[in-house]
Amino acid sequence: MEDQNKCCKNKWVLLVVALLIIFGGSILFYTQTAVSGTKCEAAKHLKSGEEAGDCYTCHLKTTPKIAQDWFESKHGVMLVKCFVCHGLPDGTGSIEYSANPDPNYICRRCHDPAVTMMEKKFGMRAECNDCHKYHSNSVHHDAYSTTESKKKMDQ
Amino acid sequence: MAISRRNFIKNAAAASAFLALGVAPKAMAAGPGDKVDNWVKGVCRYCGTGCGVMVGVSNGKVITVKGDPNNHNQGILCLKGALLAPVIYAKERVTKPLIRKNGELVEASWDEALDLAASKFKEAIAESDPDSVAYYGSGQALTEETYLASKIFKAGLKSNNVEGNPRLCMASAVGGYVSTFGKDEPMGSYNDLDAATCFFIIGSNTSECHPVLFRRIAARKQNDKNVKIIVCDPRRTNTSRIADLHMSMKPGSDLAILNSMAYVIVNEELDDYRFHNKYVNFMTNDKEKVDFEAYKVFLADYKPEDIEELAGVPAAQIREAAMIFAESSATTSLWCMGINQRIRGVWANNLIHNLHLITGKIGKLGSTPLSLTGQPNACGGVRDTGGLSHLLPAGRLIKKQAHRNQLEEQWGMPKDSLNPKPGLHTMALFQAMNDGKVKVVLTLCTNPAQSLPNVLKYREGLEKCFNVAIEAFSDAISLKYADVVFPPAFWVERTGVFGCTERRYALVEQAIEPPGECRPSVNILIDLALRIGVDPALIPYKNSDDIWDEWRKVSAMTPYNFEGITRERLKKESGIKWPCPTEDHPGTDIRYVRGEDPNIPLDYPDKYHFYGKPDGRAVVWMRPQKPAAEPAGGDYPFTLTTGRVIDHWHTATMTGKVPEIARSFPNAYVEVNTKDAKRMGINHGDNVKLTTRRGDMTFKARVGDVCEPGLVFVPWFDPKLLINELTIDAIDPGSKQPEFKICACQVEKV
Ligand code: SF4
Repeated sequence: MEDQNKCCKNKWVLLVVALLIIFGGSILFYTQTAVSGTKCEAAKHLKSGEEAGDCYTCHLKTTPKIAQDWFESKHGVMLVKCFVCHGLPDGTGSIEYSANPDPNYICRRCHDPAVTMMEKKFGMRAECNDCHKYHSNSVHHDAYSTTESKKKMDQ
Repeated sequence: MAISRRNFIKNAAAASAFLALGVAPKAMAAGPGDKVDNWVKGVCRYCGTGCGVMVGVSNGKVITVKGDPNNHNQGILCLKGALLAPVIYAKERVTKPLIRKNGELVEASWDEALDLAASKFKEAIAESDPDSVAYYGSGQALTEETYLASKIFKAGLKSNNVEGNPRLCMASAVGGYVSTFGKDEPMGSYNDLDAATCFFIIGSNTSECHPVLFRRIAARKQNDKNVKIIVCDPRRTNTSRIADLHMSMKPGSDLAILNSMAYVIVNEELDDYRFHNKYVNFMTNDKEKVDFEAYKVFLADYKPEDIEELAGVPAAQIREAAMIFAESSATTSLWCMGINQRIRGVWANNLIHNLHLITGKIGKLGSTPLSLTGQPNACGGVRDTGGLSHLLPAGRLIKKQAHRNQLEEQWGMPKDSLNPKPGLHTMALFQAMNDGKVKVVLTLCTNPAQSLPNVLKYREGLEKCFNVAIEAFSDAISLKYADVVFPPAFWVERTGVFGCTERRYALVEQAIEPPGECRPSVNILIDLALRIGVDPALIPYKNSDDIWDEWRKVSAMTPYNFEGITRERLKKESGIKWPCPTEDHPGTDIRYVRGEDPNIPLDYPDKYHFYGKPDGRAVVWMRPQKPAAEPAGGDYPFTLTTGRVIDHWHTATMTGKVPEIARSFPNAYVEVNTKDAKRMGINHGDNVKLTTRRGDMTFKARVGDVCEPGLVFVPWFDPKLLINELTIDAIDPGSKQPEFKICACQVEKV
């Protein structure tokens, strides 16, 4: 009886493992083949090894709104480029690649006083971005209305 | 650690990406999971902004770097500073002494390498004289390192051939401050940036070269929309994005534009007569004292309408700039290599000071002429401690006997035993290597085979000369010419002081142990000096702390007073601005003003006192326009200019090790104006050949409106496409600084 139980259990374990492998495999297959257009573009750069960190050039075409928002944002004016917070897309950078950078690690490098203040008030939060938009925290007021970049934009 | 579902999926996706690409995440990649054991205070390794950093150490390794909230940068870093950690662990680090055998650099023991280097120094001095040896240092060396090296060579070996790369970047600013005010270094500080209502930025791409200061200027403008920003630059760089007025000048017309602004200020009666009547002398180029009326006559040649063609700037813009400069309540000028790297860089510096002196916009919070410095310790280490061939510590001059005698006394040397003849300035030094007159050179923390102008010309000398280098990275191209290489402890692997643009000195504390057999450069210098035979009594130091204490004493009683900046204070405080005479002195924000500058007695009768000059008056110099040494024209119709990009720093021996930077910005390129490109059929990405009188080189084109028509720009970080092979080595006769910024060239699509 016990043996039979064990055998049954083993079968179940095997089945679950097999299912997991198939499931995992399909995810892997999916992530490799889906959205082939953009993927191809990126892969081409990554293989060439050159300018893989020059995200902006491609994102200007593939996600123009995000690229433009960044350009107009404080981070854009100060040239805090994509890789500073996101790392390199193939994970070979000195910081971990992440689409949603961890504020405790990434934001603190420059905004430690602000993060610490917010942490004291509300506890550590995962998403500074919910209120302080990384990409569209523009240089507000009309301080820049007379500047060269605005004049150019208005033309 | 519990892994959230989102993180799990994210990690799984990242892992699959690694599998697909066949790459593993780098061991140095630090992430949210890593816990910092302790934070150690320091200063960024890169630019002269001198941002304070906190270095996060885990298990004896630096895993992250963040801004120091208590330093002037208030926690902010630019992209280079935020990605500094991986530089320490570059696989190219030199970790053992190397000596050249059969043409190859091979590992050696410390004894072998030190003995070899010492024997070559002894040999050269015995065979000819002390002038046959030289030291070539760096604005990136610690203050203690430069002070020590300078003392070893000048006092120990009696050679005044002590130079450094600040000659290539800051010499004209030094000449400007000294000739106008009598003492080197800015009188203001970064605090002025928070109070200025007008910024006049000329010859500086602040946004890319001093990013954290640019942020401060932008923040100032955001807080007060009436703040005006004027940028005068032949390139429309990112700095101009926040400018109200961009004056797109022709290269080499800076002196005319500055005089023309003075013309407008004087003729519109916007000058502060009360101020300049009391605190200023007007002087001709021949050092003849004249009056304000004579100055007006001199300016008559610079009416905006008369120079607009030469300057390439509409007269109306020059008038507008002058009016904003003079009519704003507080004006700060900022400049950098665009002004300093000119054959009349000192004059250009003088003319900026003139604008402040005739309007009285000086010595008041928000009003100051602030020269931006390029390296983390050029102001500090090299200028203040006297690390150049004509200087002794704390603003003293080799040619003045009284100054030499002061040092001889302090250093415990017999009277009149220092060599009274100033040594060779940088370009003359490398020429002397070409000529075989300088036979042995010690370089510390610099890469002259990439950073000299017209560099191919000087490679011959580098090859001929016996070259001893203290250098951290094996791929620095200067090491091709090295005969002995000593591995130094890098950045936070040892303790020492950096001094930045605003006279602020801050401690870089040791956070980790150096790798392999690396040792602090001060210990390498001491060991080498002892083996050469320098009197041990001259260098009785155990470490950089001892040297700092001696430097404090040497600076005391001079206007460059560091006495109150003790090691203990530096450990606690995030930088202190000299002069600082006592331990309870907070440091000085504004020099030359009674009540602010401790060098002026509180009962001094006048508010301002330019004590660097015998009569206490600063000088308004009448400096005429001078074009570049090699202006565009004839067979070479384009102007070539060079500079930095935000991503890379200097010769990229450090930034090139950061994967994010290396892979976003691997190669130099040439910037071409859209109109020129159209005319010549050049498209973005095409190969373009640049030819100057020194050679040619091909780059990929970036077509756009950054450069003016007729101008092309190439960044100088890339050792593979080394633009300094094409730049010119003409120098300013005063400061001896080369004119990297302008030479004539041909542009051709290939
Ligand atoms: S601005 Fe200069 S000092 Fe500050 S973080 Fe950037 S490179 Fe370092």
